[in-house]
Amino acid sequence: MSKILVHIATSEGKIKRSSLEVMSYCKTLADKNSMTLEAVVLDPDPAKYTDQLNTYGPDKVYQVKHPIFKNHLNAAVIEALSKVIDQSGPRLCAFASTESAKEVIGALAARHDAAAIPDVAGFTINNGSVDAERPVMAAKVLSKTSSSSELVLVSVRSGSYDLAENPGNAETVAVDFDFDESGLRAVLKEVLSSAGDKVDLSEAEVVVAAGRGIKDENGRKLVEELAETLGAAIGASRAVTESGLFPATLQIGQTGKVVSPQLYFAIGISGAIQHVAGMANSKVIVAINKDPDAPIFQYATYGLVGDLFKILPPLTEELRKIKGA
Amino acid sequence: MKFSVCIKQVPDVSAPISIKDGTLTQDSDRMVLDAYSASAVEEALVLIDKHGGEVQVVLVGPEKAKETIRKALAMGAASGVHIVVDDVSGLDSGAYAEILAAWHKKSDYDIILTGKQSQDTDAGLTGGMLAWKLELPYAANAVGLTYDNEGGKLTVTRQGDSGQEMIELTSPCLVTCSNDMNEPRIPSLKGIMQSKRKKVETLQLGDLGLDPDTLSSKTSKTKGQGYKEVPGREPGKKLEGDPEELVTELVGLLENEAKVL
Ligand SMILES: Cc1cc2nc3c(=O)[nH]c(=O)nc-3n(C[C@H](O)[C@H](O)[C@H](O)COP(=O)(O)OP(=O)(O)OC[C@H]3O[C@@H](n4cnc5c(N)ncnc54)[C@H](O)[C@@H]3O)c2cc1C
Ligand SMILES: Nc1ncnc2c1ncn2[C@@H]1O[C@H](COP(=O)(O)O)[C@@H](O)[C@H]1O
Repeated sequence: MSKILVHIATSEGKIKRSSLEVMSYCKTLADKNSMTLEAVVLDPDPAKYTDQLNTYGPDKVYQVKHPIFKNHLNAAVIEALSKVIDQSGPRLCAFASTESAKEVIGALAARHDAAAIPDVAGFTINNGSVDAERPVMAAKVLSKTSSSSELVLVSVRSGSYDLAENPGNAETVAVDFDFDESGLRAVLKEVLSSAGDKVDLSEAEVVVAAGRGIKDENGRKLVEELAETLGAAIGASRAVTESGLFPATLQIGQTGKVVSPQLYFAIGISGAIQHVAGMANSKVIVAINKDPDAPIFQYATYGLVGDLFKILPPLTEELRKIKGA
Repeated sequence: MKFSVCIKQVPDVSAPISIKDGTLTQDSDRMVLDAYSASAVEEALVLIDKHGGEVQVVLVGPEKAKETIRKALAMGAASGVHIVVDDVSGLDSGAYAEILAAWHKKSDYDIILTGKQSQDTDAGLTGGMLAWKLELPYAANAVGLTYDNEGGKLTVTRQGDSGQEMIELTSPCLVTCSNDMNEPRIPSLKGIMQSKRKKVETLQLGDLGLDPDTLSSKTSKTKGQGYKEVPGREPGKKLEGDPEELVTELVGLLENEAKVL
C-alpha cells in the first residue's frame, strides 16, 4: 500500500467542495495507513489551485495543463488521467462523484485493468482490501462491496465526508501532455447552459426543490422567490423537469444529482424513492405538502401539511424580514 | 443503421425489501426490464423510424431473463441475443462488459446503446468499459440523440455537471442513455403477438470463448459482501394548522432548534 491519488474537480475557477471532501477524508486515510497522498488537476491553468490544495495536505500535486480541459471531453480526460496513473502508480484513485467522473471511471478502469467502485457513501482500506458501502436498489439499502485489486477507483457521493483542513506544502509536478484532437471520432460541438446553472446544486448549503405540486408558472415564481430570499440553489423533482418548468440540470434523485445541503425544502414533492435517493443526506429537511400521508413526511425534520400556494408567500416574507435584518 | 442495445433484467426496486444477516430479500421476485435500458431501446426505435434500420437487443442473464428480451421485442426490436449465465451473483459490471465486448467483437453494428446506469445497482460502468474494450468513441448520460444520414454522425446531448454538452460521434460508437431521454412505449397487443415470432439467438459463455469461473473470480474485480440498512433519520415534527401559524412555527424551529438560518 503506498499511494492514494485524488482527482480534483474544478468549476468556475474553484475546486469543487465534493473534491475537497474527498481530499479531507483521504488525508486521514493516508496518514492512518502510512500512505502518500497525491492529487491531480486537469485544467487550462492548473497551478492556480495549488494554494487551496495545500490547505488539504497532499504530498504531491500533478498538474496537467491543456486548454482542452476548459470543457469536458472524455477522451482527453481519460488520456491525461491514464498518464498520471501510470506515472504515480497509486493503489487507490479517488474521485468526487460528478457527472464528468461518472463518464470516465468505467473506461479508465477497463484501460488499467482496475476495479471500479462508483458512487460510494463511504470507504476504507483494511489489510489490502478497499471496502466500500454504496446505495443500491434506488438507495433503499447499502451494498457492501470490496476489492483487493492492485488499483481500485472509487467515486464518492457529495456530502459523505466533512471538510478538514490539514495544511502542508506539496511538491508540484508538471505533466507533459500533448493531445491531438484531430483524430478523434468525438467532437464537442456546443455547451448549452441554462439559467439554473449559476449556483452549483450539488455544493449548495441551502436547496429549495420543487415538485409537481407547484403546478405552473405561478408556483414556479413562489419557489424562485423563496430561493432568492435564502440565497438557495433551486432543485427539482423529475415531474417538473419533465414538464419543462425547470431545466433537467436541476433534477435531484437517482437519475439526477445527489445533494447534501444543511437545509432542504421539498415543495409539492411526494417523496418517491427515486427522488429521496438524491436528498436523504440533507441535514434538515422541510417538506410542504397538502397530503398528510405523502411519503416525504417520513424523511422530513419539519413537515408542514398544507397548501404550498398559501404557505410560501408568508414564509418568504417572514424569512425576508430575518435575512434583511 | 444497425443498433445493438444492451438490456438488463433487474428486480422490481419498488417491491418492499428486508435484510437479514446481511442478505437481501424482496417481497416479490418480479423481474423487469431496467428503466435505463428501456429508454435506450425506445431511443433506437425512434431513430430507425426516422432513418431506417434495425434494432437488436442483447442481454446477459439467466434463462428467466428471456421474458425481458421478449418485452423489448414487443416494443419493436427486430431480434434478440440471449447470452445465458445461470448464476449472475458473482458478476459485476466489469464482467458484463467483458461478455458484451466478446459478443460485439463477433457481431456487426453501427451504434451500441446502453443505459447510463442500471436501476438496481446504479453502477454506471458497463457502457464506458464496453466502449473502451471495443475502442469506440462514446458519450454518457445522453438526454437526446439525433442522427445525420449523410455523414453518418450521431449528435448526442448529454447532461453534464452544469448544463448540457452536445457531442458529435462518428459511428461505430456507443452512447449511454438517461431515462430523461424519452418515455419508453408500452408494448401493444399486436407487438406482443409479433414478439413471439421474432428470433432470439441463444448463446452460452463457451460460445464466446469465456468461462464462468474466470468471469466471477478474476474478471469481476469487486466482490459483494452483503447488505445493510441505510441509517435512518431521526423522526421529525409534523406541523398542522393555518398557513400563518405554520410559518411562524417553522421559522422559530429553523432559527432556534435547527439553527440553520
Ligand atoms: C429509474 C427511475 C429514475 C428516477 N429518477 C428520478 C430522479 O432522479 N428524481 C426524481 O425526482 N424522480 C425520479 N424518478 C421519478 C419518481 O419516481 C417520481 O415519479 C417523481 O419523483 C415524482 O415527482 P413529484 O414528487 O414532483 O410528483 P408527484 O409524485 O406527483 O407528487 C406531487 C406532490 O405534490 C403535492 N401537492 C399537490 N398540490 C399541492 C399543493 N397545492 N400544496 C402542497 N402540496 C401539493 C401532492 O400531494 C403530491 O404529494 C425516477 C423514476 C424512475 C423509474
Ligand atoms: N447483464 C447485462 N446484459 C445486458 N446489458 C447490460 C447488463 N448489465 C448492464 N448492462 C447495460 O449496461 C447499463 C449500465 O449498467 P451498470 O454499469 O451495471 O450500471 C445497463 O443499463 C444496460 O444497458
